[in-house]
Amino acid sequence: MSAVTPEARNRLLLRVALLVLAIAVVAAPYFASSFQIGVLSRIAVFALFGLAFNIVFGAGGMPSLGHAAFFGLGGYIIGIGTVRLDVGIITVFVLALVLGAVLGAIVGVLTLRSHGVYVLLLTLAVAQALWGLAFQQVRWTRGDNGIAGIERGLIVPGEATLVTFYWTILALVSIFGALVWWFQRSPAGVAIVAHRESASRLAALGYRVSAYRIGAFTVSGAVAAIAGVLYATLNRFVGPENLAWTMSAEVMLFAIVGGAAFFAGPIVGAAALVTLEVWVSGFTDRWLAVLGLTYILTMLFMPQGILGLVDDRRRAWRARREGHEIAPTSANASDALTGTGGMS
Amino acid sequence: MGSVLGHVLNGLSFGSVLFLLASGLTLTFGLMRTVNLAHGAFFALGGYIALDVLRRTDRYWFSLLVAIIAATVVGVLFERLALHRVLGKELPQIIITVGFAFLIADLLLAYYGGRPQSPPRPPGLDGVLRLENFAFPHFRLALIVLAVVVWLGLHLLITKTKVGAMVRASVDDEPIARSVGVKVPVIFVTVFGAGTALAAFAGVWGGAFTGLQPGSEWQILLLALVVVVVGGLGSVGGALIAALAVGLLDEFGKWLFPSFALFTLYAPVAVLLAIRPQGFFGKEELT
Repeated sequence: MSAVTPEARNRLLLRVALLVLAIAVVAAPYFASSFQIGVLSRIAVFALFGLAFNIVFGAGGMPSLGHAAFFGLGGYIIGIGTVRLDVGIITVFVLALVLGAVLGAIVGVLTLRSHGVYVLLLTLAVAQALWGLAFQQVRWTRGDNGIAGIERGLIVPGEATLVTFYWTILALVSIFGALVWWFQRSPAGVAIVAHRESASRLAALGYRVSAYRIGAFTVSGAVAAIAGVLYATLNRFVGPENLAWTMSAEVMLFAIVGGAAFFAGPIVGAAALVTLEVWVSGFTDRWLAVLGLTYILTMLFMPQGILGLVDDRRRAWRARREGHEIAPTSANASDALTGTGGMS
Repeated sequence: MGSVLGHVLNGLSFGSVLFLLASGLTLTFGLMRTVNLAHGAFFALGGYIALDVLRRTDRYWFSLLVAIIAATVVGVLFERLALHRVLGKELPQIIITVGFAFLIADLLLAYYGGRPQSPPRPPGLDGVLRLENFAFPHFRLALIVLAVVVWLGLHLLITKTKVGAMVRASVDDEPIARSVGVKVPVIFVTVFGAGTALAAFAGVWGGAFTGLQPGSEWQILLLALVVVVVGGLGSVGGALIAALAVGLLDEFGKWLFPSFALFTLYAPVAVLLAIRPQGFFGKEELT
């Protein structure tokens, strides 16, 4: 019986738990209410948005406050494309990927000379410029009224019901989420992390740092645009609020609350915050005040996020078992992110 | 010609409101490296409190004073309780100030409702300047004069006084400033408080100009951010020039090409930041 080490047992337990969770999420329509299915769909879409954002933020160490630009762009592509024009759904997805990538590349090029808070301001300015267009180019976007009537059935193969729509969302989020996972483990993805850790050393090794910065924004923009398409479809609506900077702030909070240093961070963050919103909205109208408090308390007491906290606990537990101290290394990675040092 | 002059003066007076807000913003950035995104919330807080006190007491200058003091107290508490704990960490500071702004804005909405309202113009400045066929409110002229006065005051304070020297020392080299006996945390909280007071004042006077409603604090904050960025983070003089320029750009943009006005405001800012991140008058950053 001593053949199984506690480490291996824990890893097995984690895998089993994840599998059970995955099955529960997929099988949710069999036991959850339609309201809960709606909430789960929102979590899934925001999780994808967060994963896309975290390529630039968590992995790349560049604090973007303009990711609503890509998200809103995707929304308007399906809004204008299917409601006002008559574009096929495949074309919508291709357009979202291409235009999201192009906009990402442009933002990447623009931010090449900026660091830290300047990246944040620049991305904010770009997103605000687009927001201004959405708000004022009434002929195309219907301005403040937004574009309503986006058909959910468009993205569902076969008969469109709440359940099939949910599964379609899950499938698309999983596919693009897996692509992000694959990208982050590829040599390019690893180089992006290396850029966060030390751009100068990466350059000294012969890497073209700027190419990886642009690459991070390009991939991130493309996937965020897809998330935007899904979000607009979920709401059957797209308006300037999809492009508003508060959306950019929210996705940043998803990553931070979950743990920006971890791949699954934005997923956990999106699940935690959307759940919190639903729960709080049940008994008060003051959700925004609670959200504001969440921003403050997270940064003061949990800057490494939920997964960072879990990781520290795990390390402390293991250190106690082995009878010696191991310095928590996850904290260092998050510190680099949330401190001044690592923001570049 | 009269209409152009009117638009110019309108733009300049709106730019003056932006400067009142941007000057506090740029001071805190220069000192604490904090892009204080809660600055717009203090603008709204000042405006609403002044309105509230005015309705209860009907004394204008008293309400203005109460609003400024109340907002400053809130700002100082916020700096000591939250912001100071993450000193030197840009991203946590930004997130915390955004959160604080959400909190304040939502509480204001809960308490005062979503109806647009605006504080009255200060008594004595109700009049209108008339030159032949051209008319312009005294109040707006006063705003322009005030902006220049505030700039001059801040400029002299920073460059000519001992307090200003201590502020500059804390900005340039905090450890050395501490070692020669400058109480840097006191400087921080004082400057933050002064910035908050300016924002609250801008809320009362600027609120009479722009009106107060939920979300307006973000619109004006983003414009003030544009000003600070264009002028160069940390530069008060740059902020004045940029504020007047942005005020004019905003006014003429809305007048001449209304459907592109927001785009033509933000897109050039993005390009400027890409080419010259430190703005026109900012110091070169050492990275």
